[in-house]
Amino acid sequence: MASGAGIFYDGTSSERHQVTVDAAPDALRIQGADGTLLAQWPYNELQHLSAADDVLRLSRINSPTLARLEVRDPALALAIDDLAGTVDRTGRTARRARHKVIGWAFAATVSLVLVALFGLPALVERLTPLIPLSLEQRLGAAVEPQVRAMLNTGSSGTAFECGTAEAEKAGRAALDKLLSLMEGAASLPIPLKTVVVRRRDSNAIALPGGYVYVFNGLVTKAETPDELASVIAHEIGHVAHRDGTRSLLQAAGLSFLFGMLLGDFTGGGLAVIAVKTIVESSYSRDVEASADLYAVRLMARIGGDPRALGAILERIQGAIEPGVKIFLDHPETKARVAAINAATDVLQFERKPLLDAAEWRALRRVCG
Amino acid sequence: MTFLEATAAPASVPAVPARPVHFTGNPHAYWRLLIRGAVLLAITLGIYRFWLATDIRRFLWAHTDVNGESLEYTGTAVELLLGFLIAIALLVPIYAVFFLLTLSMGPIGQFISALSLPALAFLGQYAIYRARRYRLTRTVFRGVRFHQTGSAFRYAVCAIFWWMMIALTVGLAYPFAQASLERFKLRNTYYGNLAGRFEGSGFRLFLRGLPMWLLVVGPFLFTIAVAIATVDWTAVAELASRGGNDLPARIEGASPGFYVVIVVAITASVVSVAMAAILFPAFQAMTLRWWASGVRFGNLATHSRLRTGQIYGAYLRFLLYGLLLLIAAAVLAGIGYAVLLILIGATARPEIAEIATIIGGLISYVFVMLGFSTIYQGTVKLALWRHGIESLEIEGLDVLDHVEAGGAASSAVGEGLADALNVGGF
Repeated sequence: MASGAGIFYDGTSSERHQVTVDAAPDALRIQGADGTLLAQWPYNELQHLSAADDVLRLSRINSPTLARLEVRDPALALAIDDLAGTVDRTGRTARRARHKVIGWAFAATVSLVLVALFGLPALVERLTPLIPLSLEQRLGAAVEPQVRAMLNTGSSGTAFECGTAEAEKAGRAALDKLLSLMEGAASLPIPLKTVVVRRRDSNAIALPGGYVYVFNGLVTKAETPDELASVIAHEIGHVAHRDGTRSLLQAAGLSFLFGMLLGDFTGGGLAVIAVKTIVESSYSRDVEASADLYAVRLMARIGGDPRALGAILERIQGAIEPGVKIFLDHPETKARVAAINAATDVLQFERKPLLDAAEWRALRRVCG
Repeated sequence: MTFLEATAAPASVPAVPARPVHFTGNPHAYWRLLIRGAVLLAITLGIYRFWLATDIRRFLWAHTDVNGESLEYTGTAVELLLGFLIAIALLVPIYAVFFLLTLSMGPIGQFISALSLPALAFLGQYAIYRARRYRLTRTVFRGVRFHQTGSAFRYAVCAIFWWMMIALTVGLAYPFAQASLERFKLRNTYYGNLAGRFEGSGFRLFLRGLPMWLLVVGPFLFTIAVAIATVDWTAVAELASRGGNDLPARIEGASPGFYVVIVVAITASVVSVAMAAILFPAFQAMTLRWWASGVRFGNLATHSRLRTGQIYGAYLRFLLYGLLLLIAAAVLAGIGYAVLLILIGATARPEIAEIATIIGGLISYVFVMLGFSTIYQGTVKLALWRHGIESLEIEGLDVLDHVEAGGAASSAVGEGLADALNVGGF
């Protein structure tokens, strides 16, 4: 029977008891210096606790106090280890338990990514039509000032919105003519609120609630009224498909899944950001492709040239440094242009000029 | 088998050393823990953090030896996970209410949503106090646990008040805020039935920190003084409100000193930022030394001999390892890119190349950022812990021999809240 010295704390006070520990066949017997039995712990109730490397620290499972026994004698520690199944000095049991945890955590991660990739879009697809248009308009009204503030980086002297100054009124009138033509053909459930804003980049965006922002950079890049109209038609496609609301729901869902649920770890939720970026780009590719198809059909309906969308896309994309942003938000330009042309080929329609030459000249100077 | 005398036999206990607290952990083992943890964090998108935090605490506690006896951390990762889930269940309705209010109430809603930030800051302070309680009640020493009383709500009120004071005084109130909050915390901290208290003086920290404050904030004060003395602000404001094209030239005409002030302001900002970066380790060492010298438990008193150089050493190692990490990341990214180019040559599909480039970029980003956070943990955080405790001189250690047990384990909801709100500590 192995026996040796130990230190015992009875859990009621911090007093240090120098004890003799007997590894008896049935239980661990802890005796004080005067020979009194301080505690007797059955082997199957022993719990192994974390301690410095050369110390075996034990407690009794389900003990109402924090009584602790510490053994520094290696031979005695080994003997106790042999007798008690719960003592895990090599750490093998703990490692096995940890591997199980890692396995489950990984499985949970895979399942969450699958939910984000397939479950969330399916859910959002079904939820979006259920959101009343009045709520969508309110959503847009709440988002719009923030987006406007974000986009408005110009000097405070000039108005952000074009078409308000006296010299710009003619351009705004031409734009309104184009818009009423398109809006009439699109028959949207909510009115469009389209403005041209002073920004140099060639882009246009649609927000929930029918807000469409056309950047002045795009107006100057467009060579024909059809090119400008086709981009606006693409944005009207986003409005008709309620993509703004959908992407808002998706962003909220993703933030919840990856931000809140998985939380942050030191370094700022990096893996989370990475996964979110990839997942979001997979959503946006489908959305852009279907807005392109919508634009093709709308252009044909008003007698414009649907291929103009492909033409202006190629021109913009060629002029911009190849970068992550453009790629992520829009499917490969070549594939897009090919899809636009293919969709145009199967349509039969009559071409009409959208604006006359004077109107188009005015429109190009809508920002002065 | 011989054994030593029982109970309070003084002969059996080694004579009280000047510095009775030691860190016995093996740095290699700690680094192994951290690196393995970083890899698992990346592949589980952070779910593993509860286990990593528990492992880190267990390691630090178990290797902190106070007068021949190490601390014990009894918390578990599952407790942290549950605490986090409960915190989420509490926070989601709050977020939802704020969101709906913003949407449905127009300008009033926007006012309410503007209030959500201070509300969350308040909740964050509340969580910090509750989380501290969790960590204390999971700390066992010689069979007796630490615990914490006091209302987390009151603590949060005090903390928010003091942070506002700090903002209003450009940092001058910081020493007094620290002293007041630490008094609150330690007054409510118990080891068994032994109450703690804090005797650090805010004024003393203020005096020691004042030179640093002057070096960092001084350049700004100088700029403001120059601006008031040289620029005719009413003229500039009038010109600016009129607008126009040749505004800069006309401002220069109306108030000749204007561009000198701009240059001074830019220089001052650069000097301030540089000073803040250079002095930060010294500031950290000063604050830690001040704090560690003020902790009392009954007759037990601590005094810190922490040297500022030790903290600078840790930061230098952090920078060195960080540089090595960046070089490694650049080399790996270069190899990866070369392999990619070869593969693309084989398939000739540019869109695959683009996707691969993005995924590669994200991987390197995560690699570098997680690497930096791991290196920070392994150098600076460990050094603060290790040198913080090893530099302690303790008087009246014998009070630790006769402490009665008290207090009960608390829930981990506070830790969960702190985690969800991103205000976590250790």
